[in-house]
Amino acid sequence: MNRYIIKKTLFSILTLLIVVTLVFFMLRAIPGGPFTREKPLPEATRERLEEAYGLNEPLLIQYFTYMGNLFTGDLGPSFRKPAYTVNELLATGIPQTAKIGLIAVIFIIVLGIPLGVISALKSNSAIDYGVMIIATIGITVPSFVIGSLFILLAQKVSWIPVGGLTTPITYVGPVVALAGYSLAFVSRLTRSSMLEVLRQDYIRTARAKGLSESKVIFKHALKNSLIPVITYIGPMIAALMTGSFVVERIFVINGIGKYFTESITARDYTLVIGVTLFYAVFYIIMVLLVDIAYSFIDPRIRMTK
Amino acid sequence: MDKNKFNFLKQEQKLDKEQTRKSLTYWQDVWRRLKKNHLAIVGLVSVIIIILFATIGPLINPYKYNSQYLDYKNIPPQLNIYKLDDDLYVFMSEMYHLILVTEDGALVQRFDLAEEDRDLVNRIYTYRLYDDQNNEIAVVAVDFTYQTDPIKRLEGIKFSLTYEDVEYKEIHDRVWNKTFILGTDKNGRDMLARLMYGTGVSLIIAFTAAVINFFIGVLYGSISGFFGKNVDIIMMRIVDIINSIPLLLYVILLMVVLKDSWFEINVLDKIFGAGGLGTIIVTLISVYWVGMARLVRAQVLGLKEQEYVLAAKTMGVSNNKIIQKHLIPNALGPIIVTMAMMIPTAVFTEAFLSFIGLGISAPRASLGSLANDGASFMQTYPYQLVIPSLTIAFMMLAFNFLGDGLRDALDPRLRKG
Repeated sequence: MNRYIIKKTLFSILTLLIVVTLVFFMLRAIPGGPFTREKPLPEATRERLEEAYGLNEPLLIQYFTYMGNLFTGDLGPSFRKPAYTVNELLATGIPQTAKIGLIAVIFIIVLGIPLGVISALKSNSAIDYGVMIIATIGITVPSFVIGSLFILLAQKVSWIPVGGLTTPITYVGPVVALAGYSLAFVSRLTRSSMLEVLRQDYIRTARAKGLSESKVIFKHALKNSLIPVITYIGPMIAALMTGSFVVERIFVINGIGKYFTESITARDYTLVIGVTLFYAVFYIIMVLLVDIAYSFIDPRIRMTK
Repeated sequence: MDKNKFNFLKQEQKLDKEQTRKSLTYWQDVWRRLKKNHLAIVGLVSVIIIILFATIGPLINPYKYNSQYLDYKNIPPQLNIYKLDDDLYVFMSEMYHLILVTEDGALVQRFDLAEEDRDLVNRIYTYRLYDDQNNEIAVVAVDFTYQTDPIKRLEGIKFSLTYEDVEYKEIHDRVWNKTFILGTDKNGRDMLARLMYGTGVSLIIAFTAAVINFFIGVLYGSISGFFGKNVDIIMMRIVDIINSIPLLLYVILLMVVLKDSWFEINVLDKIFGAGGLGTIIVTLISVYWVGMARLVRAQVLGLKEQEYVLAAKTMGVSNNKIIQKHLIPNALGPIIVTMAMMIPTAVFTEAFLSFIGLGISAPRASLGSLANDGASFMQTYPYQLVIPSLTIAFMMLAFNFLGDGLRDALDPRLRKG
């Protein structure tokens, strides 16, 4: 068991190192440095800037300096917003993004799983079809479409202020747009996995020995059918907490998603690396946690490893 | 029993008794199963409609995706027209361009508004219409004080039109735009033409990415699965590492690196034409082959233990032949399903990239970049956002239905719930 966790952790760290290296060299391969502007800077200024940021050193030394700084948690200064370091920008952005993400995650778990269970228990009924039609639409309509349509609607009704996160009602739009896809996916996944489990022999055994229907469902069926759902939810949490570029842009929220898209258009490379790393770390940690949680829920996994 | 009671049957009668059914090939069987699935057929028909829309559509539509009609900027699909005379109907755009229209909504000519005709103090603009010989035909004075004057504001209109000393406040009719069916964008380009073009670009990206992905994934996965041992371990570790990073991040990062790079300008743009089409395709391929490779490997791993592979090996068939003739055809079902599902994913990712400003650059367009352009003017011109958005959603639905149906038809074992 411990060996399994250690192995997984080491692999995650290795992955992270590779990601950092990859991102570092990828960005160095871009033609023109961060100080290449449309109007060229004077030679002397550019040299002094490069010296200040350590860009005149050989590539390998730059790499090790960057990695050294990284281990102390320093992501370097932002190239285009010289007054801020990347750490400061991240620190202001993360809470905004996390708030929306967290609410969306809760919303999905509280709504998605029960919807899936209900439509599995009442399969082929009107409720089932209704839930599945909505779920299919949720999966196929991109979040920016949901978000934009929501804003249009909000303006028609004009009692929902658009943009920013001020009153509780302003959270509705971003959360719906962000959660839409995953909510639909979770309820579909729960449904199909629940249907699968309900056909198993041990469910028949449980019914045969006279357990009440609620016990059969909650104790035997639900627990087992949640395994694939948990596998999906782990990375999903990471994706929701971080991957809200579009939603943040539409609803004008100053989260890291917005910084990320802005830093891309502004070619602010340190900020790009910083945000990417944050995303990657968060994602990898979530996947690792799911792996570990998985081995607790499903004993078959740790037996084979 | 008396032997004579038995008669020989005639040849034809004999045949009748036997259960004869034409044997179906695998693909006939797939088609039979697919036909039974109504949603899949709806999806298939929709996909065909989308493809026709993007290919034949531009031939029928008289406007080109990049022609600009500067007199008719931001004209919506539905026009509020005013009737000023028996044969004088006008439409006022949100940009306050006054346009002469026919009664059923075809655009005829834009009124001129000279600098000296803008009375900024009294907020009355005088629009003039000229014929070919530059003779003045009609003069319309537009009173904008309904937006500023405290008493006039109560009427809830934005302006009134005065023609031959009669003031018109009421909208005569709401008619559909007959010239530009879906309206025009901020540069006066026909939305329908742009939509057709954008759909085409999105489809090209998706299909190219899916096909190339297929080849890379099959090559990588079958090599890894077939040779096993260390080759497999190393190849699958690489896949694991790629897989443990959110794919979207990768895509974005790659787009940033490739955008305006030497590679894009000298290689990709030469192949696919300017505007970053090639960059998106390359980016999508370099990320999404992973899933395909994994799937093929799993398939090959399962199949290579089968007896017929052993038999082929004993007969001395070369490895290449075994992969080509035995493993790939048998693994084809799930592979095709994955490929079909790859198409909506690619459309989605492309739309997303274009939406955050990393995709196709103007004057070329994709569905995502159209939605992105529309999003900036969402408040004033909602149709510019809604039309491409609905098209994306429709396309996603169609491909998903078809993909789900194909999955059930190609490989009934994978059928869910």
